[in-house]
Amino acid sequence: MATTPSFGPSPSGPSSPVTGIGLRLPQLAEVVATSPPVGWLEVHPENFLANPHATELLLELAARYPISVHTVGVSIGSVDGIDRAHLRRVRGLIDAIDPVLVSGHLAWSTHAGVYLNDLLPLPYDNTTLALLARHLDEVQNELGRAYVVENPSSYVAFRTSTMSELEFLNELVDRTGCHLLCDVSNVYLSGHNMGYDPYEFLDGLPADAVAEMHLGGFTAEEDDATPGRTLLVDTHAARITPPVWQLYAYAVALFRTVPTIIEWDDDIPELATLVAEATKAGGVGTRVQEAISAVAV
Amino acid sequence: MLSLSDVQRGIRGALISGGSSGLEAVLVGGGDPAKRLAVHQRHYRVTLTGSLVSRFPATAWLVGSEFVAAAAEAFVCAHPPSRPCIAEYGETFPAFLAGRPSAHSVPYLAQFAALEWHVAHVSLAVEHRPLTAEQIQAMGADALAEASLSLQPGVHYLQADWAIDELFSAYLADEAPEQFVLASGPIGLEVRGAPGDFAINRLDPGELTFRSALALGVPIGAAIHKAMAVEPAFDAMRAVVSLIASGLVTQVHATTQAAEVCP
Repeated sequence: MATTPSFGPSPSGPSSPVTGIGLRLPQLAEVVATSPPVGWLEVHPENFLANPHATELLLELAARYPISVHTVGVSIGSVDGIDRAHLRRVRGLIDAIDPVLVSGHLAWSTHAGVYLNDLLPLPYDNTTLALLARHLDEVQNELGRAYVVENPSSYVAFRTSTMSELEFLNELVDRTGCHLLCDVSNVYLSGHNMGYDPYEFLDGLPADAVAEMHLGGFTAEEDDATPGRTLLVDTHAARITPPVWQLYAYAVALFRTVPTIIEWDDDIPELATLVAEATKAGGVGTRVQEAISAVAV
Repeated sequence: MLSLSDVQRGIRGALISGGSSGLEAVLVGGGDPAKRLAVHQRHYRVTLTGSLVSRFPATAWLVGSEFVAAAAEAFVCAHPPSRPCIAEYGETFPAFLAGRPSAHSVPYLAQFAALEWHVAHVSLAVEHRPLTAEQIQAMGADALAEASLSLQPGVHYLQADWAIDELFSAYLADEAPEQFVLASGPIGLEVRGAPGDFAINRLDPGELTFRSALALGVPIGAAIHKAMAVEPAFDAMRAVVSLIASGLVTQVHATTQAAEVCP
């Protein structure tokens, strides 16, 4: 079931990662009208399922760009099971646009028939691992595609966990053969909030399993849990910070030409700003690949 | 030790009702990890409340944005979403609004907010190519009487006790008259739309019944009978001609013939 996405040549150069933007509804018409110079687009299907007009525009874009479908409501970590009706709707969109990737989160969002509109944390133990392996299988069968799993942004963890997040992701890949979406900003943010080294985290990921990377802005606020310290909140409402760009360069060196998406969900800037961030990511990728080539020579 | 189910039940309770739902003993993160649940609690409240408020600007124009925001905050606690498409969340918000303290002084509030909800939805609909009169007539009168119709997606019918369409027009015109006389008495409304555009049409009681029945899949002949029961002088021929001329019919589903008529 797991496959590697295929893309055309990167606008940043043949050996650098393809970079693109998370396409949100406020920018949909402008993207259709102007075809900005990005390598691919990523959409949340939940924004389109109740919006036939937006779906029509997305189909137009699917003829011009590789599209990735990044689910936020599939909730593979829900103890109550997967919402099959929602999956069928996502499948309908997927069949229509034929995306290069389909992904979602190592999280849960639904409990007892209530959708909580957030990506909520899971304890990392064998019970959760078995649940996720079962749900991944179910999701991939229903969607007819490989389902790539993204590492979470973390604020709390569980005393009952018997594995670290990194160990859990490795186990999940070993057990299911799934691919990973490495959100580099999440790695940085979670490392800061939960007290681990983000570089060591990247070193520990199964590099061959990483199929996509994400970058997004976060917001620093006072950590009420630890007065005097800051908490980084994954708001996707700002530019990517310099330490995350550095971490991204490290990730490109590890994962090579893995395609990358810039996410911006709140206080969405002008499209040009978003495209500039994607171009910047492409530039980072090119420089890293050139440096690697030079060392190899 | 809490099971995974207990953990998820606890977090759900913390998000919807506040507090930490007895999770203190199992959480890790910072000096007082339960306080970090506030990030998720805030996200739940702010995103859903914001989504609702943004969907009802006309209602906020009518009764004030503070009233709508306070109601939205109460609504997300009392009626959490059940599906991941947040654009579909809030259909029952108009009725909830009407039950809020002080809403009794605005008896048309629920119907006005419901109209706004439907306008927002039809504005996103994509209309299909309608059938022509010739295509429909080709079925023959007898077969047609037993056929049901598909109408344009997104079209919606509602009955109101007040002239809320006039009030909605005042909102669209950005009017703030010192006095606005809102006529009472039942009116029938048809809301239809296309991307970035919509129309609110008034319908006679017979025509409202006829078109509402068709929209529910009732065969044409039976829909005519329903309309005549409401309005004995209902002119069926005129109603059918008007329906087709307005471009609302996209498919005819014959019950006595295998074929369907499509554009």
